[in-house]
Amino acid sequence: MTILRRELGSNLRGLLIWALALALLNFWMVSIFPGMAAEGAKLEELTEMYPESMMKMFNMDKLNFSDPLGFYGVESFFMVVLFGSIFAAILGSGLLAKEEDEKTLEFLLARPVSRGEIIRDKVLCWVIYMVLFNVIIGIFTWLGFEFFDVGAFSRATLFFLVLAPLFVHLIFGAMGFLSALFFVRRKAALSMSIGLVLGLYFLNAIALLSEDMQFLGWFSPFRYMDAADIVNNGGINWTYALGLLLVAAVMVAVAGILYRKRDIAI
Amino acid sequence: MPVIETVGLTKYYGKTKGIENVNLQVQEGEIFGFIGPNGAGKSTTIRTLLNFIFPTAGEARVLGLDVVRQSREIRAQVGYLAGEAGYYDDMKVKDLLAYAARFYKQDCASRIRELVDIFDLDVMKPVHSLSLGNKKKVGIVLSLLHQPQLLILDEPTSGLDPLMQMRFFEVLQEENSRGTTIFFSSHVLSEVQRLCHRVAIIKDGQILKIEEMEQLRSNQFRKVRIAIDSDEFNGNAIPGVIHAARENGIWHLLFKGDINQLLRFLSEYKLVDLWLEEPTLEEIFLHYYEKEGAE
Repeated sequence: MTILRRELGSNLRGLLIWALALALLNFWMVSIFPGMAAEGAKLEELTEMYPESMMKMFNMDKLNFSDPLGFYGVESFFMVVLFGSIFAAILGSGLLAKEEDEKTLEFLLARPVSRGEIIRDKVLCWVIYMVLFNVIIGIFTWLGFEFFDVGAFSRATLFFLVLAPLFVHLIFGAMGFLSALFFVRRKAALSMSIGLVLGLYFLNAIALLSEDMQFLGWFSPFRYMDAADIVNNGGINWTYALGLLLVAAVMVAVAGILYRKRDIAI
Repeated sequence: MPVIETVGLTKYYGKTKGIENVNLQVQEGEIFGFIGPNGAGKSTTIRTLLNFIFPTAGEARVLGLDVVRQSREIRAQVGYLAGEAGYYDDMKVKDLLAYAARFYKQDCASRIRELVDIFDLDVMKPVHSLSLGNKKKVGIVLSLLHQPQLLILDEPTSGLDPLMQMRFFEVLQEENSRGTTIFFSSHVLSEVQRLCHRVAIIKDGQILKIEEMEQLRSNQFRKVRIAIDSDEFNGNAIPGVIHAARENGIWHLLFKGDINQLLRFLSEYKLVDLWLEEPTLEEIFLHYYEKEGAE
């Protein structure tokens, strides 16, 4: 627990910057919705001018722009999922890689602490942080919906919209942990895990664009937490959610096993 | 029970040899020197003992505990000073010491205060702003703060000024008189000679020799250079000379034995100049231990 305490403290600033930036962005997005809804007709006209591919990529073909949740699904949801995944990847890879990169792992391993305990504390810190991250954003978003005159909306659906990104974040954070084991240099691990986030995001975007490419979406975690699905079904698909959790757990477990057997070459 | 015992300890990094068939026994209360040139396998041995790396073959026990399976228990009772350690950049010295202390069951606060005093450390400074020597001092305090039964020191004096080195050796002797066993790795023969009871010599991953310090002391090596005009003079003919070569009219000798005998021998000749120096470990290895090891 000594390491957990230390990590919770030393990474706090990064968490607050990322979470508050996205939370305020969401809050602001919700604040402009009433104005946009008032000019509903014009909005529809405007969106009709968008190219079809863009409509599809942002789910604008499946979501109603004049509905507050539809609006949120198009404008905000993807940013929370995408940027949150990048944060999760940075955090996951950094927590492990920084000790090796900055040669502090020798300090740590000279103490009476097992490698299992080291990775356990790091994973715990990361999970707590990702939950906090989504709670902060969720609260701000919900406050926005309550505070501004957005019209009628389902609070349950909103809850699922702010919960869903967490499952994707956990996948990419777990990938970050794994990549830290294969790339000792922190920068390399970081680039690898951010590259994975962006690559898989575009894979999903391609899948949305074309019927022929649709199958590709299933290789991307983003496919499983889709704003249009959530708004139109009024909830998340729990099979997908548990599947994502399971995959994340397996990746973290593999990282843990590898970490315990690894030669620490500093 | 030996404090450190390795049997056929071997470590390969892929195909590169780290150490091969290392057999060591360090007894309780000993100051044991571990000496060899850079890259000889000193750090590899130490890292295997602390389970930073896993042995390819053989086994090792520290304080009677298996280095792989009981590493956590071992490290609770061992103080380790790394050759070059990294410390957390966002911490002050006092934060780092407090963080380290939290890993141990006992209260380390008073021992930390003592050590900080002895080594004259400014605990309010950020660790990253410290000079190399001051970082080393932090490392020393970190290795001692939990009053370990065994100290493993990897090149502990590099970066320390002579005054601090003296204080450090005093502290080590004090620790040792309290019963702490010390495993002291170095590539400088003279500092090992000052402190250690026994010494193991390692080269290319293999132990060449384990010697009592008394033995090694009687083997006083000297590097001798003689400028002489006479062609009759033959450096190889001097008793105690291990290696001799003539270059640009100057004889380069490696001498082992009584220096008075050497001077008596030389007094027969008319010298232009004479230099006596302590040879580097590499020179001793090259001409002495390697030959012995090959035999």
